[in-house]
Amino acid sequence: MKSLKEQPMKTSKALVFDIKRFAVHDGHGLRTTVFFKGCPLRCRWCQNPEGLEKKRQVLYFKTKCIHCRCCQQFNEHIDYRDRPYFKENQNDFEQVIKACPSGAIQYDSKEYDLDTLLSKIKEDEVFYKHGGGVTFSGGEPFMQGDFLVKILKRCKEEKIHTAIETSFYTSLELIKKVLPYLDLIYIDLKLFDEKKHQRYTGVSSKIIKENIRYVLQSEHKKKVIIRTPLIPQITATDENLEAIVRYLVACNPEVKYELLNYNPLASSKYELVGKEYGIDLNYKMFDEKQMQHFYDVVLQENLKNLIRE
Amino acid sequence: MNCLYQTKRISDLKEKMLSSKRYASIEQARIITCVYQENEDLSIPKKRALSLKAALEELEIAVEDEELIVGNRTKGVRYGVVFPESGCSWINQEFETLPTRPQDQFLVKEEDIKEFREKIYPYWQGKSLEDAIKGTYGKEINEISKVVKINQKDHAQGHICPNSALWLKLGPQGLIEKAKEKLKNCQEDQKEFYECTILVLEGTIHFMQRYHDLIVQENHEELQEVGKICFNLSKRPPETFHEAVQSLWFLFVILHMESNASSFSPGRLDQYLYPYYQRDIENGILDQQKALEILECLWLKFNQIVYLRNQNSAKYFAGFPIGFNIAIGGVDEKGNDTYNELSLLCLKAQEHLGLPQPNLSVRLNKNTSHELMQAAIKVVSLGSGMPQFFNDEAIIHSMIEDLDIEEKDARNYAIVGCVELTTHGNNLGWSDAAMFNFNKVLELTLNHGRCLLTNKQIGLDLGSLETYETYQDLEKAFQKQIDYFIDKMMDAEKVVEKAHQDYLPTAFLSTVIDDCLEKGLDVTRGGAKYNLSGIQMIQVANLADSLAAIKELVYQEKMISKHELLEALKADFKGYEIIQTMLLNKVPKYGNDVAWVDELGSKWTSYFREKMKHYTNYRGGRYHTGMYTVSAHVPMGENVGASPDGRNALKPLADGGMSPVYGRDKQGPTAVLKSVSRLNNSCTTNGGLLNMKFLPEFFKTETGCLKFENFLRAFVDLKVPHIQFNVVRKEELLDAKVHPENHQSLTIRVAGYTAYFVELAGKLQDEIIERTTYENI
Repeated sequence: MKSLKEQPMKTSKALVFDIKRFAVHDGHGLRTTVFFKGCPLRCRWCQNPEGLEKKRQVLYFKTKCIHCRCCQQFNEHIDYRDRPYFKENQNDFEQVIKACPSGAIQYDSKEYDLDTLLSKIKEDEVFYKHGGGVTFSGGEPFMQGDFLVKILKRCKEEKIHTAIETSFYTSLELIKKVLPYLDLIYIDLKLFDEKKHQRYTGVSSKIIKENIRYVLQSEHKKKVIIRTPLIPQITATDENLEAIVRYLVACNPEVKYELLNYNPLASSKYELVGKEYGIDLNYKMFDEKQMQHFYDVVLQENLKNLIRE
Repeated sequence: MNCLYQTKRISDLKEKMLSSKRYASIEQARIITCVYQENEDLSIPKKRALSLKAALEELEIAVEDEELIVGNRTKGVRYGVVFPESGCSWINQEFETLPTRPQDQFLVKEEDIKEFREKIYPYWQGKSLEDAIKGTYGKEINEISKVVKINQKDHAQGHICPNSALWLKLGPQGLIEKAKEKLKNCQEDQKEFYECTILVLEGTIHFMQRYHDLIVQENHEELQEVGKICFNLSKRPPETFHEAVQSLWFLFVILHMESNASSFSPGRLDQYLYPYYQRDIENGILDQQKALEILECLWLKFNQIVYLRNQNSAKYFAGFPIGFNIAIGGVDEKGNDTYNELSLLCLKAQEHLGLPQPNLSVRLNKNTSHELMQAAIKVVSLGSGMPQFFNDEAIIHSMIEDLDIEEKDARNYAIVGCVELTTHGNNLGWSDAAMFNFNKVLELTLNHGRCLLTNKQIGLDLGSLETYETYQDLEKAFQKQIDYFIDKMMDAEKVVEKAHQDYLPTAFLSTVIDDCLEKGLDVTRGGAKYNLSGIQMIQVANLADSLAAIKELVYQEKMISKHELLEALKADFKGYEIIQTMLLNKVPKYGNDVAWVDELGSKWTSYFREKMKHYTNYRGGRYHTGMYTVSAHVPMGENVGASPDGRNALKPLADGGMSPVYGRDKQGPTAVLKSVSRLNNSCTTNGGLLNMKFLPEFFKTETGCLKFENFLRAFVDLKVPHIQFNVVRKEELLDAKVHPENHQSLTIRVAGYTAYFVELAGKLQDEIIERTTYENI
């Protein structure tokens, strides 16, 4: 487990691995979602494996490659067999990336300073006016906490609606700094059982639970939606959902809670980053009947505010 | 509104219509030819008027048992009418292949072919519009055809929105009175015009009467009421909603009989029919369900007139777009948002029927109600590609500013054909004058004026990519080349418009276009209050992408040498795959909200639009521009060699008109709207077209529909003139290609119009399947 102290990167730049416009799932209205790179968790089902590592990495898109070998001419460390293979610690890929005609070789992320990121967010301002705004996601946005505070401040100055998607695996001190600038807070609580949490996410659930309790009892409680991604056999068990909801309701009976259906498509991203997907590939999305079952389970725990599409 | 349903009558009639066979008909051609032969000494306007009158009095007519609205221009439904006055040499050449040609097939009868060849065609040789244009200017038109496609060479223009409110108010009787009054005090040279209008209006009254007589004669029990309505209309203007709708349909049938042209558009039907609707509701003789049924009968009628195009034209406009364009919602003449129960009923009719016609449009503005938005979105989600949306905030201002149209007329705009803008009831917009292919002009500019496909000298030799030292030099040459072809185009336009005046005067149409009756002047001669001509600019997306690639990769970054690029283009990228890949990937594309790229496109469309100010059309009106291709981006692409945007030779250009090249818009729909909003709205006063494709899932939840409304409201704010959506699954389209028999009624937005998917050419089908889909919900 990485120490919490390491997390906030003291820099005026953020490493962002994607900015998605017309995001329609991460909050109300039409939004732009900014994906911060780096996450302290290692959930086996992670939907954005390209966002896990803190450092910038080089990606290779097999389907884009036209096998012209232009890359080799610019970097002798590239071993070209059936495709280019990069040797580790060869961090100067600028030339190669520039030379690659197809964009098959790319950095997985880009550095943004405050102004650039803000103007990027503001590109869809005209859409936010009718509902919508910016959502900070990741990775774990709190990993780049200093920058997060600054960009949130700027967004609020511009009267942009702000949301965050977070694991809340961070320091309470940082949370307190950020909360005033957020209009909507999505927090994942994936597994209640501490051992399982450790096993499937790689970190302890204690800090997360404590932070959730804090925010659910703070003046910001109305902005919070707690979510559980339904992962077959892991999080999607009656036992787990009951325990989570029982805890949440105990923290605040008015808590808003949402279940996220399993999305098997993430598996396709793993090859790209050279990692292995930790979930059985045969699992599918839950159908309506199964979803209803889970809704019934959580509703039995006196949950007042279940969010359903 | 939610409890309204589609009656059995409607589903029966719909089924009957779709299963009826489509023939080419020479009946009207026979009548016209007879009249011309019997009146050789009379003028063409007189002969035209007499032949329309004869057709109204003699054409075989029919009614169907359950119809609430009757009337057609042929006995059978969806017949293609052979129309000799505009030109029939193509019919002569293509008659036998009509049943087997790739698009828009028609069955033919052997005896018709024989009669046509022996009696009709010989008479018309050298006497038609087509022959006149070919004879005087065919060579010149042909010489520029790879760059400029001159339209309306063998058919009447159409694309006009009559003053339906006036028609309903006066009826043919009132219009005759008006014409007779005028005739008493007119000048000698106006006499013939008024005489002609009286002739055709008399025929009109007779035509209405004949439907009453037929119903009585054939003893159609069920149609008694309809028969009575036809009788009433032959005596006086309509008084009830049902009468008004029947009267309106007669108007459009006769307009089609007179011109056999595409796109006579009803326009703001929810506005001018509303007083009749409201009165009947108040009097307790009509309810919403009955009104809807009457409207749906009209909707079916809109699908019973199709337009017989020649094979080449069918290639450009596949799927019988006939352009009964109805615009609901929008602001009134005072600028206040206006919609009513009829607007919602129009949407309901579309929701029920999902047919290609009418071409239903919704006018949006800042104050459009949530109710109308959501009703429209519901219909969009069903996937017929309708309604399409027009933006009052973009259109009205530029009509006033750029075309000097009076404010009240601009606010009252309607749409004709696919997406062409017009004022209501007083405008001959000549909206499809020509299509100007920027991408071909760029090709010629890069290569000494020579065509990359044939190496023929088509344009001016101003140098080549290799000789232009700077990007600015290249642009200068590009500008000169554009100017050269504009001049050529304008010369051809004059010839075409004059031929229409000489050969296709339209007396009947002139009675319902202000101010023809006042001026005593046929609409083809400039009788309308507004006389515009619209040139389509093809295609900004490829142009912007090509210029961006040249500017950045060749001149700025020097990643590709001039020589290499030119050689690559000449070789259609064979052996130059790396260069092609760079062109496609190493420079941003139009449609991704990258200002400098979008502005390259905007710069040249604006330049072209400004140039139009220097020309006056043959009716004394202005030229302006539009940005829509309908389906012509496929054949237009076939004229263009490999282009610097990385597109291979002969491949389609971007679809739509304002849309990005498909697959190149990688930042999603908001970025597309932002890019498109950088185009100057003065460039699209003749109409612009933006296509988007969404998956049906987007509309599954109420939240999704609300988000879609957000999107449309931002579209209004961004002042983009037009947008339309295809909502259909790729799998369904793929299946329809393989098993057309299972998808007979699947309609799809082609580009500005909706067609039956299974009737489109394979190439166009593939192209539609390939268009970008936003699937992230």
